Amino acid sequence: MMNNQLSTCEIVYIPEKEPHDLHNQPTEFVFASAIDPKHANHIVRRLNQIAPLEHLRHVKRIHKKVLEGGQVELSVMLCLASEGDNQLDTVPPALQELISSFQLSPFITKVCKYAASSKEEWQEQCKIWPTSYHPRTYNIDGITGFSDENAESIFKFMQSAIELATSDDLIVNAAVIVDPSAKQIISSARDQVFAWSTNKENSSSDLISNKFATNESFQVNESNNHLKQPYTGVACLYPWQWAKQQLHSHGSYYCHPLRHAAMVAVESSAARDRYLFPSEQNTGEKYIELDHENPSSASSPAKRQKTVCTTVENDDQSKARSQTSNQLSERPYLCTGYDIYLVWEPCTMCAMALVHQRIRRIFYAFPNPNAGALGSVHRLQGEKSLNHHYAVFRVLLPEEAFHKCHTDEVPETKETCVC
Amino acid sequence: MSDSCSETVRFMKLAIDQANLAMDALEVPVGCVIVDDGKVISSGRNRTTDTRNATRHAEMEAIDVLVEQWHKNGVSTSEVAEKFSNCTLYVTCEPCIMCASALSILGIKEVFYGCSNDKFGGCGSILSLHQSTSTVSPNNTQVPLGKAFKCTGGIMASEAVLLLRTFYEQGNPNAPKPHRPVAVACRE
Repeated sequence: MMNNQLSTCEIVYIPEKEPHDLHNQPTEFVFASAIDPKHANHIVRRLNQIAPLEHLRHVKRIHKKVLEGGQVELSVMLCLASEGDNQLDTVPPALQELISSFQLSPFITKVCKYAASSKEEWQEQCKIWPTSYHPRTYNIDGITGFSDENAESIFKFMQSAIELATSDDLIVNAAVIVDPSAKQIISSARDQVFAWSTNKENSSSDLISNKFATNESFQVNESNNHLKQPYTGVACLYPWQWAKQQLHSHGSYYCHPLRHAAMVAVESSAARDRYLFPSEQNTGEKYIELDHENPSSASSPAKRQKTVCTTVENDDQSKARSQTSNQLSERPYLCTGYDIYLVWEPCTMCAMALVHQRIRRIFYAFPNPNAGALGSVHRLQGEKSLNHHYAVFRVLLPEEAFHKCHTDEVPETKETCVC
Repeated sequence: MSDSCSETVRFMKLAIDQANLAMDALEVPVGCVIVDDGKVISSGRNRTTDTRNATRHAEMEAIDVLVEQWHKNGVSTSEVAEKFSNCTLYVTCEPCIMCASALSILGIKEVFYGCSNDKFGGCGSILSLHQSTSTVSPNNTQVPLGKAFKCTGGIMASEAVLLLRTFYEQGNPNAPKPHRPVAVACRE
C-alpha cells in the first residue's frame, strides 16, 4: 500500500533561482576585439588590472574560434558597453592606451549576464561567448534525487505535518522539525496566532477552534494538486489577516500575530536543546566543547556543509546509539542538519527564521502565492548574501494522503520513529 | 525639526544602552526600544545565544514584551493592531529580513535604525520589506503583499557599528568556529 502511494508521491526540488529560458538567457553588451595570439597573455594580465569586470567573473576573457583550415582566431573582452553606443569615449584612459598600443579594433558583442546554474545553461551560454561553469560545491542530500527509502520517510513526515494541520476544526499551517539521520521528530507545532494561553515552554497549546470553525475541508483539486479552499486560518498564507479579527482578550485566550507554526517549532526545538544539554557555567569551556564536537569544521561553506553530511552518515551507521543521550558531543548547533516539514510554503518571516536557525532542508506541500518566500513572492534560498542556505523541496502528495486525514484513519507508522 | 531630531537621537541612545546590555551578556550587541506617543513602552536586546534560538533578535524580544503586556490588560485584537500602528521602533541595526517582515505583519508605523545590515537587511539592503507592493491575483484583484512602514537609517550608525566591531574583534565565543570566514566566503 505504501508503495502504491509512493508511486504517486513526487518530490520536486525548488532551485535557488527561477530558471531562465535556456535559449533566451539575459545578456549584457561588451566591447571586444580580435587580438594576436602572441599578445594574449600580456593583454589579459593588463586587463585584469585596469578593467577587472567583477560581476562578469563567470565570462571568459578570451574567445577562441577555430577557422577553416585550422587557423585560430582569438578575441578578448575589454569592458562593458551600452547598446547602440559605439563610441569608445566612455572607455577609461588606461584601456584606451592598451587599445592603441596593440592597435585593437573594438566591436560590440554580447555575453551572458549570469553564471550558469546547470550544464545545459552553460552549453547554451558558450554558443554566445565562452563562460565558466562551477557546479555547486556542496550537495545537500536530495538535490540530485531521493532513494525510495528516503522518499518514503519524507512522505511519512509530511503526512504527520498534514495530520497536525488538520487535527482541529480550524485548518492551520503545521511544522515538524526532524533529525533525518535518526528519522526522529525534534519538535512540531501548529500555528498559534490565536491560541489559549499556556506555558510558553509547552508547545502543545490548544487552538481556539469554535470561534473560527469553518466548513472547510481539506480538498485537493485532483488535476493540478491545487487546493480549492482559501484556508484563511493558515498564518503564512494571510500574515496580515490577524488585525481584522474582532476578538477580545479575556481569561486564558491569547493572540500573538507572529506565532506562526515554523516560529513555534523553532522555539520548541531550542527549548529541547536547552533541556537536553544544560549549558556550562564557563562559556570558555563551552567553546572548547563546541570545537570538539566538530573537529573537521573548516572555514569554507563547502567544507562545513560536508562536515554536516559526514556527521549524518556516521549517525546512520550507528543507529544503535541512544537518541536522547545526554552527551554533549551530540549537541547540535541550532538546527544544523535538521529538516522541517511545512504544509504550506512559509512566509518571509518564517523562511528567514529558518535561515537563522540553520535548517538544512525544507519540505512543503502547497505553495503560498500570497506571501511565500521560497519561490512564490521571494526566493530566500537564492539570496547569495545570506550566511546559510537550505535546500527547498515541494512534496506533491497523492490524493490518499488527504482522505486519510479526513477519515481519521490512523496511518501506518511502524517504520517511523515518532517520539 | 531639531526637536524631533534630538528626540530621535535620545531614543537611539536608549537602544544603544540595550545593545550594551547584550554585549555584557556575550550576545551580538543589537538593541532596540519601542516608542508610543513620545514614551518608551518596551525595549529588547539580542538573546540568541542564551535561548539557543537564533530568532530571538532584539525586535522580537521587545514585541513579545508588548504582546504579553497587552494580553494581561485584556486588550482586544483590533486594539492591538491599532496600538502597533502608533508605534515607532528605534533599533541599532537595520532589521533583518525576518524582523522587517514581522514589523510589516504587525503594521508598525515607523522604524529608525543605526547601521545598515548588508548581509540580512530587510529594509533596503537585501529586500525592501518596508515598502508595500501588491500583486494581481488570479481573479484580477490587487492583493497587497504587506503593510508598508516609514524607515530611516543612519541614526548614530558609527556607534552601532563600533559595538558590533568590538564584539566580533574580541571573537564571538558562542559562534560555531568558522563564523566570520563563512560569512565572507558565502558572498563570493
